[in-house]
Amino acid sequence: MRSFLDKLKFHGLFIKMFMVTLVSIVTVSLLTSIVMIQMSERLFMNTFSITNSKIISQIQTNFESFNYSVVTASNNVLQNGEIKGFLTKPDMDSLSSLQSYYLASQQMKKIHSNVAAYPVTMTISGVNKKTHSTDSSYWPSSTEMLRNSILTVNTLIYPKKLIYQLDTENVAGSSHDDPAIVASRALMERTSANQYGVLYFAIKESDFKRFYASFTSNGNDVVILDHSGVVVSSNRQDLIGNKELDLLGYAKDIEEQKQDYKDVNVLGNSSLVLSKYLPEYNFYLVNLINKQEVLSEMVDFKMVALISFAIVIVALFIVFIISRRLTKSLTMLAKQMSGITANAFDNYIEVSGSFEIKQLGHAYNYMLDELNDYIKKLIQTQKDQRNAELSALQMQINPHFLYNTLASIKILVQQGNKEKAAATINSLISLLQNTVSNISETITVSQELVNLKNYVYINHVRYGEQFVVNYFVADNCYGYHVPKLIIQPFIENAFFHAFQERKDGYIYVLISSEEDALVCEVVDNGVGMAGYDQQNPAHSSISSSHFFSGIGIRNVHDRIKLLYGEEYGVSIVSDIGEGTRVKIRLPLHKS
Amino acid sequence: MKKLLAIMLASFVLLTACSSTGNNAANNGGTAAEGTKEITVWAWDKVFNIGAMERASEAYKAKNPDSDLKINIIENAQADIIQKMNAGLNAGTTKSLPTIVLIEDYRAQSFLQSYPDAFFELTDFINPGDFADYKIGPTSVDGKQYGVPFDSGAAGLYVRSDYLEEAGYKVADLQDIDWKKFIEIGKAVKAKTGKSLLTQDPNDLGLIRMMIQSAGSWYLKDDGTTPNLVGNEALKEAFESYKELMSADIVKVTSDWSQFVGAFNSGEVATVPTGNWITASIKAEASQAGKWAVVPFPKLGNNANSVHASNLGGSSWYVMNVDGKEAAAEFLKQTFGSDVELYQKLVTEIGAISTLKAAATGEAYKQADEFFGGQKVIEDFAKWTEQIPNVNYGMHTYALEDILVVEMQNYLGGKDIDKVLSDAQAQAETQVK
Repeated sequence: MRSFLDKLKFHGLFIKMFMVTLVSIVTVSLLTSIVMIQMSERLFMNTFSITNSKIISQIQTNFESFNYSVVTASNNVLQNGEIKGFLTKPDMDSLSSLQSYYLASQQMKKIHSNVAAYPVTMTISGVNKKTHSTDSSYWPSSTEMLRNSILTVNTLIYPKKLIYQLDTENVAGSSHDDPAIVASRALMERTSANQYGVLYFAIKESDFKRFYASFTSNGNDVVILDHSGVVVSSNRQDLIGNKELDLLGYAKDIEEQKQDYKDVNVLGNSSLVLSKYLPEYNFYLVNLINKQEVLSEMVDFKMVALISFAIVIVALFIVFIISRRLTKSLTMLAKQMSGITANAFDNYIEVSGSFEIKQLGHAYNYMLDELNDYIKKLIQTQKDQRNAELSALQMQINPHFLYNTLASIKILVQQGNKEKAAATINSLISLLQNTVSNISETITVSQELVNLKNYVYINHVRYGEQFVVNYFVADNCYGYHVPKLIIQPFIENAFFHAFQERKDGYIYVLISSEEDALVCEVVDNGVGMAGYDQQNPAHSSISSSHFFSGIGIRNVHDRIKLLYGEEYGVSIVSDIGEGTRVKIRLPLHKS
Repeated sequence: MKKLLAIMLASFVLLTACSSTGNNAANNGGTAAEGTKEITVWAWDKVFNIGAMERASEAYKAKNPDSDLKINIIENAQADIIQKMNAGLNAGTTKSLPTIVLIEDYRAQSFLQSYPDAFFELTDFINPGDFADYKIGPTSVDGKQYGVPFDSGAAGLYVRSDYLEEAGYKVADLQDIDWKKFIEIGKAVKAKTGKSLLTQDPNDLGLIRMMIQSAGSWYLKDDGTTPNLVGNEALKEAFESYKELMSADIVKVTSDWSQFVGAFNSGEVATVPTGNWITASIKAEASQAGKWAVVPFPKLGNNANSVHASNLGGSSWYVMNVDGKEAAAEFLKQTFGSDVELYQKLVTEIGAISTLKAAATGEAYKQADEFFGGQKVIEDFAKWTEQIPNVNYGMHTYALEDILVVEMQNYLGGKDIDKVLSDAQAQAETQVK
C-alpha cells in the first residue's frame, strides 16, 4: 500500500494532468453537444415557423383558387336559363324530358369545365325534384337522401352564401374511409328571391387534401377546422370528423391577437400551432408542428451522443498516451533528482525523453558541474585568503616591540654597555631579517630556533634574565620544516603572562619527532591558566602579542589545521599554579 | 505509436472497402431479383376488379407455395389509369407503368394498336378458344392474343315480374322478344301501373351499343378505324327503336348513376336492360326479392343477324412489356387464364361472371338465385356470354359516341334518320382521321 502510494506520488503530475483533461474533454463535448442541439432546435423551430407561415400562405392560395373556380362555376349555374328551366319545369313526357335532361347535362358539362382542374362532382337539385350530377358514382349516393340531408338544410338557411361542409352521409360506399367536402349554394332568382334549387360541389376529402398534403410530413400536420371545431380535413385520417375545440380556441386566439404562432400542448403533444382563417370557407387552416417528432427527425440524438462519445474516447486515448510520454520522463527526472543527498553533488542524471526534458537534464548536469567547480574554487580561494591574511599578519611587526627594543638598546648605549647593545641590535636585525625579508612560508627547525633565541635575547635585555629559556631539540629534528614563527607566540605568552607574580621561572622548548608528527612543546612553570585541564583549543582567546599584532593561539591552531589537516594542531594543558604546557603537532616535512 | 496509427488507418480503409463491396453486391442482387419477385397491378373498382385480383393472387399462392412472387395491387380510377398509360406510352417509356393492367374492352384496341410494342404477347400462355368468342376481338390484334379476358358484360333484360303480371304479361312472354314487342309491353305496363318501362340517360348510348352488338355490328368497321355509321342497318334500326321508346313515353329519364340505380331500387321502372354487373345493385334492394327475373336481351326485329345476346362493358387483363412480364404472364395463365375454381369464388363472392367457357361448368354457375325467383341467373348469363357476337370495338368507340349523342338529340328533334347518320359519319370521318 505504502509503496503503491509512493508510486502514485511520482505519477501525481500525470494523474492530475489526465484528470483535468478528462474532465475538460467530457465537459466540453457535453456542453458543445447540448448547446449545439439547443441552438439548432431553436434555429430549426424559428425557420420552421417562418417557412410554415409561408407554406400556409401557399396553401391558402391553393384554397382560394379552388374557391374561385367553384364560385365562378356556381355563378354560371345561377345565370344559366337552361338549368333553371330544367330545375323548375314540371315532369313531361319521355321525349321532352330527355331533351331537357340532355340540355341541362350539356350546360353542366360546359360549366363543369370551370372546375375541371379539380376532381369535383357538380350536382344540381331542383324544386321539381329533378337532379343531375356530373359524376354520381361517388357523390351523392342517393338524391332523395341528399334532398333531406342537413347539408341542404344548412344551405337553405343562408341562401345567398356558398358554404363548405364536411359530408359523410351522402357518400357512396363506406363514408368513413373517404368523406366528402361539399360546397353548396341555394339557386335563387335574383329579383324575386325565389329559390328553385340547390347546387352542390362535392370533392373527396382525399382529393381536398392534395391542396396541402405535399407540405405535410411526419409531425408536421395540417388540420382544417370548420367554425364549430369539427375537423373537416386533415392529413391525419384519424382526426377527420372529430370535434377539436381546444384547437379551434387556439386558432381563434391566433387570428384575433394576430400572432405568428402559438407554442402549446395540443392533442397530447407539445406543438407549434400556426393558423389562418379562410373567410371564403369559414374554415380555420391550422398547421400543427409536433416539436418532439420534428426534432427527432432533424437531430439524431443517439447519433450525436455516440459520435461525441467516440470522440471523447479517442481524444482520451491520445491524451493518455501523449501525457503519459511527457510525464514519464519528468517522473524519471524527479526520481533521479530526489536521489541527491546533502553535499553529494556528483549525482548526475540520465538524459532522455522529449527535447524540453533533455534540455532540463543537460542544464541540471551542467549546473552540477558548475557547482562542483565552484565549490572547489571556493575552497581554494578561502585557503588562499587565509594564507594571505596570515602572511599579512606575520609581516606586521608590532611597532611597540620595535619601539621597546630600540628603547632598551638606547638605555644600553647610555649605560655604555656597547657589547650588549650591539648584540641586541644583531638579534633584532636577524629577527627582522627572518620575519620581514624571508618570504618563504616555512623554515627549518634550526632557523626557527635562531629566531626564538634572538627573540628571547631581546626580551632578556629588556626585562632581565630571571626567566631562563632552555631548548631541547632532538637531533633528527633540525632539518624538518615548520611554519614560520609557529612557536614564538607561545614563548611570548609565557614571558608576559606566566610569570606575572614571580621574578624567576623556566621556559622549556622541546622539539621531537613522533611516528608521523613533529611535536614542539613549550612548557613553563608559571602561574598557569584555569580551564586548560583538557586538551581544548577552542577557547584560547589569548591574542594580544607584543611581537606580532593580532595572532592568537587560536589562530595558530586553526592555521595548522587548515594547512595540515585535522590530526594536527595545538593542545594546551594548564591549571592555576601548575604552569602551562603547550603542544604543537606538525607533520614531518623535510623541505 | 506510429505503428498503431498505421494499423488503425489500414484497417479503416479495409473496412470501408469491404462495406462498399458488400453494398454493391446487395444492390446487384436486389435489382436482378426484382424482375421476377414483384409484379405490379393497376385496376379500378375496389370491390370488383381489385377484389378479383386479390383472390387470384391468393389462388396463385396456394398453387405455388414455394413462389416468393409478390403481387402489388394498386387501385387507381379508370380515368387515371388511361391518363397515366397514355402519358407513359407517349413518352416511349414503360418505367412508371405496371406489369399487369386492366383495360376496358371498348378502349383496348386503341392501346394495342397505338402502342404495339408496349404489350407482351400472351399467345403462348393462353388459348383464345377457351374464352367467349366476343372477348377475343377486343383483346387481340392480327391474330396475336394480348389480353386475358376477364369479366363478362353479357347483357340481359332484368324485369319486374309483379309489374308485368299487373299489366297482363308473364315473364315467359318476354323470352326472346324483339324491341317492337318490348315497346308494346312497355305501353301496357305504363297504362296499367303508371310505371315507366326503363330509364335512359341522354348522354349514354349504352342501349344503342347493346342493340347493334346483338346484330354483330359496331360504330366502326372490322378494321377498327373506319366509321361505320351511314348505311349501318343495325344502327339505323337501333336509332329508330330508341326513338320509338322515347315517343311511347315509357322512359324515365335519368342523368347519372345514382338516379339510375335509384330508379329501379325505388321501383319506378319495370325493366332494366343492361350488363350482368348490375345484379349486385338490383339485389341491394332486398325488399324486392322474388319480384325480379332476367330474360334474354331483345333483338332487333328487322335484322337477320341479331341474336338474343349482347354485351355492355367488361374488361380484360394485359401484360406490359416490362421486367417481370414472363412471371406476370405465368401468373395470369394459372389464374384468370384457366382456374375454374377461382371463377367459382369470383362469381359467388363478387358476382363476376367469367368469360372462360370452362368456368360455366362449375357448381357456382348452376346455383338457383332466390332473389330472381329461383332462376339460375348465372348459368343464363354464362350461356348468353358464349352467344355474344364478336365485334371489333376498334379505336374510337367513345369519340363516335360523343358525336352520336348529339345527333340522337337532333334525330329525336325531328331530323331525318339518314341525314342524321350521314352527318354523324361526316363528323366522325373528320374527327378520327
